[in-house]
Amino acid sequence: MTSPADVLYADNPAWADVTPLPQYEGVNPLAPILYTEEYKDATDYFRGIVKTGEKSPRVLELTEKIIRLNPAHYSAWQYRFETLKAVKVPLEDELKLMDELAVKYLKTYQVWHHRRLLLTESYNLEPKRELEFIAKSLKADTKNYHTWSYRQWLLAFVNDGELWVGELDFVEEMLNEDLRNNSAWHHRFFVVWLGGGGGGMGVGGTREEKERVLRRELTFTKQLISLAPNNPSAWNYLRGVLDRTETPYGLILPFVRLYIVNLSDRAGSTDIVDVENPPPSEGAQLPCTAALEFTADAYERQGDDEGRKKAVELWKVLANEQDTIRKRYWEFRIRGVEKKVGA
Amino acid sequence: MSTSSHTELPALARAGHAAHCKRCLSGLPGSQVEVDGARLALSFYCIGSLDLLGVFFEKTSQFDREEWREWIWEQHISGKYGTGFRPSPFMTTAGIAEGYEYTDYDTPHIIMTYTALLCLAILRDDFSRLDRTGLTTFIRACQREDGSFSTVPGSGEFDLRTLYCAFAISSMLDDWSGINVPRAVEFISTCRTYEGGYGQSPFCEAQGGTSYIAIASLHLAPSSFLPNGPLTPAERELTVNWLLQNQAPSGGFKGRTNKEADACYCFWCGAGLHILGAKEFVDKQALAGFLASCQFKYGGISKAPGEHPDPYHTYLSLAALAMYSPYTEGAEGNEATWQFESLDPLLNAKESTARWAREHIPARSIATTGHGVGVE
Repeated sequence: MTSPADVLYADNPAWADVTPLPQYEGVNPLAPILYTEEYKDATDYFRGIVKTGEKSPRVLELTEKIIRLNPAHYSAWQYRFETLKAVKVPLEDELKLMDELAVKYLKTYQVWHHRRLLLTESYNLEPKRELEFIAKSLKADTKNYHTWSYRQWLLAFVNDGELWVGELDFVEEMLNEDLRNNSAWHHRFFVVWLGGGGGGMGVGGTREEKERVLRRELTFTKQLISLAPNNPSAWNYLRGVLDRTETPYGLILPFVRLYIVNLSDRAGSTDIVDVENPPPSEGAQLPCTAALEFTADAYERQGDDEGRKKAVELWKVLANEQDTIRKRYWEFRIRGVEKKVGA
Repeated sequence: MSTSSHTELPALARAGHAAHCKRCLSGLPGSQVEVDGARLALSFYCIGSLDLLGVFFEKTSQFDREEWREWIWEQHISGKYGTGFRPSPFMTTAGIAEGYEYTDYDTPHIIMTYTALLCLAILRDDFSRLDRTGLTTFIRACQREDGSFSTVPGSGEFDLRTLYCAFAISSMLDDWSGINVPRAVEFISTCRTYEGGYGQSPFCEAQGGTSYIAIASLHLAPSSFLPNGPLTPAERELTVNWLLQNQAPSGGFKGRTNKEADACYCFWCGAGLHILGAKEFVDKQALAGFLASCQFKYGGISKAPGEHPDPYHTYLSLAALAMYSPYTEGAEGNEATWQFESLDPLLNAKESTARWAREHIPARSIATTGHGVGVE
């Protein structure tokens, strides 16, 4: 469908009937772009087409050309979409082209926006194919924000039980590759706690189910923390789960404490591995800053003087040794509870 | 474990950064064609950098400034969705004659409208040409059913960025009639995540830029719409904690958990913390040290050390320094190069520029100046 790349529209007899319209620049412009001849030619013809309102197969060719030169040209995308609808091109074909462009212009808003429109307009498209495509493009860029957002949008938009089912495996696959991938942790939270992948967590669900999911998530997170203790993504997820289910932080302390003592201090105590409380991996850097923070928060939440005093001790370690870049913040936390001690 | 050192900083190459921005204002190479649909935003980063550096009027000629003002007003267009600014004449084929109306492919754009207003405020325009009623109509035309805003009327492209622009414009106008505020606030809350930050749309991962935008929007909204305050104390604590967690050992801020530091997040996270009253917890010295290392030797600031500079990262780095200057007033020598006039973190403009905008953009400013009565 495309013309030879080196032929300008101005020299192409198939476009001789269109009047090209140059861009109006007006007075001394701000930040003018020194357009290439190719771009200037294509956009001159695009403005000409928009003026006449033509929506035909050759407009698809023209807009594709512009998009390849400037994928952020939102008017070209907009006109392309309207043309697609007008000429009734099978949207599946368009989607195939988008598979290529999405990988090429991974960081452009419009690529993903156009894809959403295609999906929204065409209900006979197979969402499973989309999930596979997303999984493939995440291989190229495992934390790409647009790609993950699109996956989240798609799942929520289709909201099909079957689609949700595979998501936990997908997340685990991504985390197996890189357990510090925060996008995958976030996705897990979305799937389990907000979407339909938690076994009834998102909508209703019995008490037993909720408890089962909570246990499963805690076990999963603890295991990943034990593999890489200094991973803020896992700790943030742990806190997120406890906050969401209103589970007291204190319940997790037997596990968290293992991450604030040095390995040498607990020599000989690791013969029996408690599956509920997996210990840090060999050679892990301890104490773990996130564990200190967590424990201090748990102590503070006890709400008594004893807890507050213990929290202050930990914040002092954070302020002076472990997390000095946030020294002022930890000192502020200390001042905050010291006012309450004995009050 | 932090590497926050208090070794002396090199000079901030102010003249080089100003020159970088001036160069971009005068022209961009063809390789920058992706800016075509966002030229006003890029112009804002250039003009804004010169403004933050305090050299805008010194480094530009009266003639250029007049021409630029005219060019920006040429992007102020009216039509069936109301009035606003378009990014550039990239879809325009003729000048604006009497009775001109835009087409569906050349409409105003909400992000460009916000940046145009700030550019004009830096140029100290009197805004006598602003179609205020048309502007509220335009904002209304961009708001969607779910409370969010589209970039251009009728488009399905929306996220928190556009919502912030609608809020900032309404705040500068001092007229919120173009927005259904409760619905917009509800949309913001659906973007909040378990980490304490905000994603760009519902269900998306917490990100520094969109978190700033959510926090700033909640603080721009008139308090009458927020009976319980912008955030609950528990929400505020979690958000402050997450934002602070993003300051990396290098001193720079990350945009997401476990990502690399990037100069722009020094602004986005830093401004969020400033608005939340948690400014004092940022390690300013370490922050400046990171930004010093992002300076490009021929001018401009890049996202990370060793990368190429651009006006976006240059502006946001300077704006971060305007909130977090590592030295107290009266510093000399190299230290003096790190001093800035203070910044309005809600509008993202120098305080004197934000004040100009708030004095000249509201409708009441016409009435008061018309009678020769000064605005407070």
